[in-house]
Amino acid sequence: MFLVIIFSLSAFLAVAGALSVTFSKNLIHACVYLLFSLVGVAGLYLTLGAEFVAATQLVVYVGGVVVLLLFAIMLTGGTNLHHVTSRFGLESTPLMGNLRTYLMGVVTAVLLVVVLCNVLQGSMTGALVSENKFSSTVEQIGVKLLTDHILAFEISSVLLLGALVGAAIIARPHRSSESEN
Amino acid sequence: MNETIVSYLGETLGLNFNWLGTLVIFLIASLILASFLALIGGLGTYAERKISADIQMRYGPNRVGPYGILQFLADGVKMLLKEDCIPRESDKFIFKLAPILCFAGVLASLAVLPLSSGFILSDLNVGIFYLLGVTSVVGVGIFLGGYSSNSKWAMLGGMRGASQIISYEVPVTLTILSVVMIAGGLSLNTLVGGQGAYPNGWYLFHNPFSFIGFFIYFIGSLAETNRAPFDLPEAESELVSGYHTEFSGMRFAFFALSEYIEVFVLCAIAAALFLGGYNVPFRLGGDGLLGQLFQLVVFFAKSFLLYYVVIWVRWTLPRMRVDHLMVLCWKYLTPIALFNLVGTAIWMYCFNGRSMYMILKHFLMASGQ
Amino acid sequence: MDVYLPTFLLIFIALVIVFGALIVSYLIRPSNPSLVKQTAYECGELPVGPAWANFNVRFYVIALVFIIFDVESALMFPVVAVYRHFLQLGSGGAVLLSLLVFIGVLIQGVIYCWRKGDLDWIKSYRTSSDVRAKGLK
Repeated sequence: MFLVIIFSLSAFLAVAGALSVTFSKNLIHACVYLLFSLVGVAGLYLTLGAEFVAATQLVVYVGGVVVLLLFAIMLTGGTNLHHVTSRFGLESTPLMGNLRTYLMGVVTAVLLVVVLCNVLQGSMTGALVSENKFSSTVEQIGVKLLTDHILAFEISSVLLLGALVGAAIIARPHRSSESEN
Repeated sequence: MNETIVSYLGETLGLNFNWLGTLVIFLIASLILASFLALIGGLGTYAERKISADIQMRYGPNRVGPYGILQFLADGVKMLLKEDCIPRESDKFIFKLAPILCFAGVLASLAVLPLSSGFILSDLNVGIFYLLGVTSVVGVGIFLGGYSSNSKWAMLGGMRGASQIISYEVPVTLTILSVVMIAGGLSLNTLVGGQGAYPNGWYLFHNPFSFIGFFIYFIGSLAETNRAPFDLPEAESELVSGYHTEFSGMRFAFFALSEYIEVFVLCAIAAALFLGGYNVPFRLGGDGLLGQLFQLVVFFAKSFLLYYVVIWVRWTLPRMRVDHLMVLCWKYLTPIALFNLVGTAIWMYCFNGRSMYMILKHFLMASGQ
Repeated sequence: MDVYLPTFLLIFIALVIVFGALIVSYLIRPSNPSLVKQTAYECGELPVGPAWANFNVRFYVIALVFIIFDVESALMFPVVAVYRHFLQLGSGGAVLLSLLVFIGVLIQGVIYCWRKGDLDWIKSYRTSSDVRAKGLK
């Protein structure tokens, strides 16, 4: 019964949050609705029994990505101050697209889902040896990370390094005029 | 605790609980815990005023009730009666949402407090990681509070507050990683249960790296809750009141209450991770209800001791400038925390996870023969 | 599944407490809105312009670096949780090595950011002689 309660709450949060993000006219409101939607997705992970992934979703997405998005909006929003009725100088975002874009979006989504399901179905029927010594998913993930997927674990650190360097380069202000002297 | 309390009540009352009964029992338990901690938060305001008065050689509040102990109730009633001024240019939806986010985040973190071995409200397998996630929600709430007020002071305070919170999460997370390495699990019962009752069993004295790690965690948690000397986001002398300038009445009360409860929660987690948590010396009381009571007392004693140190630090040290704050985090605490992590990993490998005390004991016993 | 229930219940209790207190406050507080009370407080001056202003990019850079460290720690949590288990199995050296490689790669990123001045809160303006001598840009 609790499964049903938690699932319906999380599903409602996720879907309602996502719909509010797409239909909201204020950018900061959209960020807040995104926060609710991500919390809902974390709840959905809980119903699947993946508690570590749910906690990671909370920590990384809600704690990090939403803050990053908010800072990015503060950096780049509101250059049109002539809008008389806007609050904060942030222009309200127009509705995106017409019927054709939505139709193309739906078709692409259906195609992607069909292709992904067929691909995943083939790869997941391999032998999944479960470590029955550990009862929680954290330790099971840890064992798998260190035995089967050790290369992925190391490469992910290189990926993070690339992300860090790339982000720092993009966000750095240019000091070209001073170094020319 | 969930199974124990439901089965315990089932045995004593002779009932078999279906899902509705379990829900009601959990609801009552959560209500008791939440109100108890709100009481601790309120008394924390009183304690702060009394201790600061003691440090500054004056009387604190001593009118309302014996020794002024009901002062926090008077403050609460005052907050209820204040007019709710919402600025005209503010973003009303987010203005109303920000205190709720802060308060909900702090209350959600109460679920994993290890009060005693039987009294954890929810012994999640990812306990400490969940706690880190939930305290980040408070940071988002602070930023939204500062943003929605549409006041330059508040905006600046909100952005500084959010960047301070996310910066200091990095050394705190790295220190928690090293403690998890020593303990071997993320659940708070594992983290506390791996420690002994006497100081030689605490993770504080397990190896020199965790000793340094305790101070890093303590400094980081001071910064996470915007307590002095890191209280620039609510700097009273610079930004009027920082991110909660425009909030009045109960909305401000929720910001303040969530700050005090969060300080207590982080002190409690520090006591659980480094100071041995609820382990009672001499195993007083055995394993029954009396033992649980002793464990509760020991846990709260350690938490309140750290809480006193937090208040003491606030009224002793001057406020840090914002660039010093950031330099301290990224150029001092984060490298030290990374060094701690590497050092703990090497220590665990070399000495097979034994603490300094155990190594010394083995050495003395081996050389004594 | 019922071990997760107290989390949701506590959030529900938080909502109830907040809304309850706000409703009680709504019933018993005075309400005399005036123009002066509803403008932002700026120590007696009238506020000019919207509160949003061009904030410095350093907030964004700090948030970016934080995300990287957050994901790194999220990846390291499962590994350090089973470190003890692998020590007892005898393959502690391999785990130590992989952990050190992971942390080492990330420390290189930190050193890069540090040297390039991304972790400074106040940008120090390097003179041209510094640029030529150290090869920085």
